Amino acid sequence: MVEEMIEKSLAEAVEKHREGVVIMIELPAEHYLEANSVIVKSLTSTGYDGTYISFQRPFKNLSSLLTQQGIDINKLLFIDAASAFAEEIQEKNPRCIHISPAVDIDELVRAIYTSLPELKSEKRFIFIDSLTTIALYKPLSETMRFCEFLIKTVRKRGVQKIILIFNVAKDLAQKKFIRDIALRVDQVISVVK
Amino acid sequence: MINVKKIEKELTSLPEGWIGLLETSTEKAMKVNLATLKILTDKNYNGIVLSASRPYSNLVSLYKNNDINIKKIWVIDCISKSQGSKLGEDDNVLYLENVSALTNISISINECIKKIKGKKFIFIDSITTMLIYNKPSIYAKFIHNILTRMRITGISDLLICLEEGTDKEVRAEIAQLCDKVIRI
Repeated sequence: MVEEMIEKSLAEAVEKHREGVVIMIELPAEHYLEANSVIVKSLTSTGYDGTYISFQRPFKNLSSLLTQQGIDINKLLFIDAASAFAEEIQEKNPRCIHISPAVDIDELVRAIYTSLPELKSEKRFIFIDSLTTIALYKPLSETMRFCEFLIKTVRKRGVQKIILIFNVAKDLAQKKFIRDIALRVDQVISVVK
Repeated sequence: MINVKKIEKELTSLPEGWIGLLETSTEKAMKVNLATLKILTDKNYNGIVLSASRPYSNLVSLYKNNDINIKKIWVIDCISKSQGSKLGEDDNVLYLENVSALTNISISINECIKKIKGKKFIFIDSITTMLIYNKPSIYAKFIHNILTRMRITGISDLLICLEEGTDKEVRAEIAQLCDKVIRI
């Protein structure tokens, strides 16, 4: 049911905003992993390539889970911010972009920006797995600045279709900074159990 | 009564290296804890119990009474020192100053992991108690840090969270990091 709802809502949002769209998806915390996979699978199976910014899981764990779900990870580039936050050594893999342990927002932004031309498809997406997890490590002002930059990048590109997805757990969606970001996106999709 | 078979079924269905959030009520928590540890140790897992709610001496007697092999468990006891209790000299216990010494707890977990061979688990008992002594955002960051390290090293981890009284936002923050939420 969660799977169907996500696929349908996502397809409708993409169809409605053909020039690119910024979406916030509110997910039930207990279906978070499942929902993340559904979103990525839904996009990669319809011709999109994407940059996956992982604040929650290290690359090794994430790439293995996505592969198990039948997702072609060759359509994805990963930024492993989770390992960087934990100050762990990041996996050396051509699909994984290295980030220094300080996880400076400017460096992160640069990494995302430079990853986009590396994606093979004309149809691209940027996937942020959890806005609230960044906020555990970074001041809210920096988290907001990060989101602002991404939103501007997607809108500036205009003719090139980019989908930007911010995920957030439903029980955390009422936090003020999340509401502030929600005001700036094109569509909020709320997934119910 | 708790459904031990359900716990066993849920735990057995988790592939190696997965992280589960075990949710239960305050009344059932102790029985669920013991049943879970019994299942894991019987399945040849060796593990670390991070205890924020009971001292080591009390845990040992509970484990013995429930036929849990204590030799398969390392305890990080965050209670005894702060309560001025007499500290034992067993090899499988590490006494920490208090529940809010999160950096020390993290370092101790890393040290204990290195000493354990074979299939491993970490059992955090309990999130609710630890939240009494720690700021929610700092605690969530601590859990994120531990989970990331566990995933990189490929260790099964199990968290226990009491439904009653658990901060809703911290619960969501932690649940979204887990592979599965198990409700007992």
